[in-house]
Amino acid sequence: MSTPADRFVPERRYPRFSPSDRVQHLVMLASFVVLAATGLPQKFIYLNVHLLDQVIDAMGGIETVRVIHRFAATVLMLATVYHLLDLAHRLYVRRVALSMLPGYRDLLDALQAVRYNLGLAKRRPRMDRFTWEEKVEYWSLVWGTIVMIATGFMLWNPVATARFLPGQFIPAAQVVHGGEALLAVLAVLVWHFYSVHLRHLNRSMFTGDMSEHEMEEEHPLELERIRSGLEPSAAPEEIARRQRVFLPLAGVVALALLAGIYWFVTFEQTAITTLPPR
Amino acid sequence: MKLPPVHRALLLGSALLLPASRAAHAQQCLDCHSQPGSSVAFKNGDRLDVTIDQAAWQASVHGQSGLSCTDCHGDIKDYPHPDTGDRSSRDLALRLYTSCQQCHEEQFKKTLDSVHQRALAAGRRGAAVCSDCHNPHAQQKITGDKGKLLPAARLHIPLTCARCHAPIYEQYRHSVHGAALVTGNPDVPTCIDCHGVHNISDPTTARFRLASPRMCADCHTDRSRMARYHLSTWVLRTYVADFHGSTVTLFQRTHPDQATNKPVCYDCHGIHDIASKDDPRKGLQVKENLLRTCRKCHPDAGTSFPDAWLSHYIPSPDRTPAVYWAQAAYNILIPGVVGGMVLFVGTDFVRRRLDRREHRDRRHHETHPTDHP
Repeated sequence: MSTPADRFVPERRYPRFSPSDRVQHLVMLASFVVLAATGLPQKFIYLNVHLLDQVIDAMGGIETVRVIHRFAATVLMLATVYHLLDLAHRLYVRRVALSMLPGYRDLLDALQAVRYNLGLAKRRPRMDRFTWEEKVEYWSLVWGTIVMIATGFMLWNPVATARFLPGQFIPAAQVVHGGEALLAVLAVLVWHFYSVHLRHLNRSMFTGDMSEHEMEEEHPLELERIRSGLEPSAAPEEIARRQRVFLPLAGVVALALLAGIYWFVTFEQTAITTLPPR
Repeated sequence: MKLPPVHRALLLGSALLLPASRAAHAQQCLDCHSQPGSSVAFKNGDRLDVTIDQAAWQASVHGQSGLSCTDCHGDIKDYPHPDTGDRSSRDLALRLYTSCQQCHEEQFKKTLDSVHQRALAAGRRGAAVCSDCHNPHAQQKITGDKGKLLPAARLHIPLTCARCHAPIYEQYRHSVHGAALVTGNPDVPTCIDCHGVHNISDPTTARFRLASPRMCADCHTDRSRMARYHLSTWVLRTYVADFHGSTVTLFQRTHPDQATNKPVCYDCHGIHDIASKDDPRKGLQVKENLLRTCRKCHPDAGTSFPDAWLSHYIPSPDRTPAVYWAQAAYNILIPGVVGGMVLFVGTDFVRRRLDRREHRDRRHHETHPTDHP
């Protein structure tokens, strides 16, 4: 039984997302929203819906909307480059476990969750640092970003694309870009909104940490490991040494990737600016 | 118009009496004006032939309806005729054409909005007025029942416009439309089907350009008409679904005066010289012709670039497998993935509510064991 004094003991909070993670999420969130807002109305122009016409108009007209879309796409590509470097840092410098990698365990968890919901299993799966639902979401984002960047390149640079691919790949890219966009937005609305807004308002992506109660509910295995003190950590001097190797290498790779983005963005302007009509 | 019986009787009476006297009046004028070789000299040196072909007049729609010469030439009542002060034959024409509005008010009002009238107002005195297209002394009836143009009149329209627009007529005459018109084909457009009649608008404006796909689509989405030539009626929908067409139609809906460099039908297919899709020199089914057309706006386009445009075809597994299968994949992927997610989320939501209720009931039962025996 708890005494009144217990209530004022602050609950222990567990770190979940670093400031870097949270900034990445915010940048991605902003670019995703802008991309969807400027992209989906374009996809549905042919339906002749008055409201969509007004939305496009409110954003400055179709020509402006296309430029905003490209700007947001560039931001998302920059965020992707940052994320890749961050992963490399995790792998080489901090050598922390890649807890987002999917495994057989996640398949079992998913099946157990489905069976539990249908009343066919006695208990919910007990999950680790990232639940199978979060992995579905992360890897969907990875897949979606790859698809959108690849098809976006083709739509942004159609003349160049047609030099090494059949011409019909450009309308095919348009179909995939629009289909994947719709899929991504619907998936976010259903999956993401349910799991972090509706089922339970999960603020950890903004505050960076989770309460003990939330950890018990959502990440019991991780909590157990933390409590048992098994979380490994490298010596600070070792990390500093790896950092010295990592930074120059990462700088070179970052420059190469940024050059790639610059090339992507400025390669040709056909899709935005064509010659004046004759 | 519905009139009281008394008025109708009066109208009928005057219709029977008046034409006879008016025709007699016209005959008086024709006594002189049917003489060949009579002409009038103007101060600027113009000579105007004032001979009226009596047979043509009598066969004309005006002669037939018994109009009197002074109905239009209201200033000439006596002989010798008074000096009207016209310095040239054009002065005379520009002074007289306004009398058409006495009977043809609707058409006359329309001409006031026309590009011709605007040119006239800007001082281009050669711009067409009523009598430049319709010779009032010989004009035959051009409409039949329900105001539909008679076939002979349709054939004549391009020739009428050609009097001023000869180079354009030359292009039209050899186009897929013009060549068919000469053979008596009633399906092809003449000048007025695209440009309008009487209220002919300026075809060089952004507004005309943005509205033009609808104009072409009027005929090109007409199934029965296109079926006769084995032409697709999907041309508009496939155009609107693509980048060029969606921008153009969006502007047309929201900013009809917006200038745009996105192509409309005639930027690729030609205007007055529009050719059949299989025409070896201009037809867009011929790959080199299509490439040349794309390069007008995309000068760096390579040989496979034109395939990025599906040539108004619906994606099919034979013609454009990449597009077809991409669409087919997302037709399955989107409902499959989102449907699966909805199913899981739905069951999860219900299950968690049931769990919570069970949990609450148990706690309630523990704290108030006697409430529910």
